[in-house]
Amino acid sequence: MKSVENILLAGDLRFAYRPGQPVLRGVNFSSRAGKLTCILGPNGSGKTTLLRCLMGRLRPDGGEVLLKNKAVRKYSTRELARLLAYVPQFPASAQAFTVHEIVLLGRFAHTGALALTGEKDHAVARAAMVMTDTLRFADRTLDELSGGEAQCAMIARALAQQPKVMLLDEPSSHLDVRNQLAIYRMMQRLAHDWNMAVICVSHDVNLAARFSDRMLLMREGCVLTDGRPEDVIRRDVLAETYDVQIDLIESPDSPVPFIRAR
Amino acid sequence: MTDSPAIPARHLTGRRLVILLAILAGAAIAVALACSLLGEYRLMWSTWQARMLRLTAAAIVGAALASAGVALQGLLRNPLAEPFVLGISSGAGVGVLLGFAAAGWVALPGWATTPLLALIGALLTCLLVYSIAQRHGRLDPFVLLLSGVIVNAFNGAIMLGIFLLVPPRTISSFTMWAMGGISENIAIAETGFMLTCGGAVLAGWAMLLLRGAAFNTLGLGDEVALSTGVSVHRLRMETFVIVAMMTAAAVALAGPIGFVGLIVPHICRLIVGPDHRKLAIVGGFAGAMFLMIADTLCRLAGSWLRIGEVPVGIVTALSGGPFFIFLLRRRFREVSP
Repeated sequence: MKSVENILLAGDLRFAYRPGQPVLRGVNFSSRAGKLTCILGPNGSGKTTLLRCLMGRLRPDGGEVLLKNKAVRKYSTRELARLLAYVPQFPASAQAFTVHEIVLLGRFAHTGALALTGEKDHAVARAAMVMTDTLRFADRTLDELSGGEAQCAMIARALAQQPKVMLLDEPSSHLDVRNQLAIYRMMQRLAHDWNMAVICVSHDVNLAARFSDRMLLMREGCVLTDGRPEDVIRRDVLAETYDVQIDLIESPDSPVPFIRAR
Repeated sequence: MTDSPAIPARHLTGRRLVILLAILAGAAIAVALACSLLGEYRLMWSTWQARMLRLTAAAIVGAALASAGVALQGLLRNPLAEPFVLGISSGAGVGVLLGFAAAGWVALPGWATTPLLALIGALLTCLLVYSIAQRHGRLDPFVLLLSGVIVNAFNGAIMLGIFLLVPPRTISSFTMWAMGGISENIAIAETGFMLTCGGAVLAGWAMLLLRGAAFNTLGLGDEVALSTGVSVHRLRMETFVIVAMMTAAAVALAGPIGFVGLIVPHICRLIVGPDHRKLAIVGGFAGAMFLMIADTLCRLAGSWLRIGEVPVGIVTALSGGPFFIFLLRRRFREVSP
């Protein structure tokens, strides 16, 4: 019974950056451990804003976000960091830290005042680097890496926080096909093998449909559909979401058809 | 390469921190002793004492400015940020001059008035520069530097105005202070004054060290830092107050000495890498040693050239100006190739 409990739950979320221009108009959202959820929708539909509300960065005007049955804004910044981690769209470091040091920065909320890392922290960081296959360039700095490698390093850093929930904002949108696939495979493994609730904002319908357990389609601050990929990938639903004609292409080795905008 | 970086050499552990502190403290004391013995052939006990006092003041000022520079560069992710460039020093300077001018008719004792007014000036300047440069909680690095320039000019005008108001006979000590000099006769002879400023710098230094890891995380961007457990907004406010306090102490002791907070952190970064915990420690000690040596050279040059005192602020400005331009040009190259 416990495993089906929603770890992250948001009800009737409303948010506006400026009065009178709502970005979220009553969004319901839930996420479970062990599931990869992808949030999709056209630009300006409120995906990133939803993500920011979920991570407690923005205070919604209405509704509430519950993390483990407690309001996300009630957690201290440090407490929250031990439960929830975030991976940005573009990996960046203003300082010339190596990948290994960046991953260790993820231990901030688990360490003391000076953030001195001990054996356990190093073990956690190492496991995170093994999982993300970043150990081979652990001694290099971010600007010596390709975009794909840098994004893997950022996922390793988030993983070092040992979170229960991982939020990713378009982690693969600027990567090549091979790296996109690698990132989605990694997110799926984080959900299925590491039993995290993984939530990813995405623009790639096909990759999301192929790897996610659940898809959420947004448009103009509302959720249009929320369900398993095979239920969501339908011509009428996608046409309404993106405002384009959609062709579905059946594939023999995939339960979900591919989509192509006409 | 091997598969596992066990604990890399530049990684900070508790033991390495203690060793680092011990080595640097020893080096700073050695530099102070060496500097104190340079000069006249026959050294009197009282001369040596006066020199040690002056060197202590130089060390306090150097440590304050360099570690404040480390903190501002980390906080603002801007390699050009430092108390002088951002106008914080000149804000503290206005406060100090007001303290000098008002010395007769303020109820507080002298050792408290000047640092307090300097602190108020520095805090007001921080607030002003920050509110000019920030939009929706984001800081544009170039707007920040420009607002520093403008606030500097503004504070300079106020200082000149105060010059006009004071009696002519105090002007020479004013001028000396405004050039950034550590002299043996004025303020530092007062124990209470030295203790106030030294205590403020020591406390601020420790507080910056404790925020080093947060500065490291901030390099990954505000949003990532927040999700890693850093209260970004609070960190900004706290750091500005700490930096204002340390700058105020430094300016009250020695006038607006520029560019120490720029040169020293950059050289330290080349040596110890980007970790702000190490930079806070190494930068503080290096700043102390840098200013002790620079001040001693100024003292020696002054007596050799028979022109009396050479303010150390002139030396740091002459060397810091070109350094700033060099960093600025490199930064421009990064932004627009």
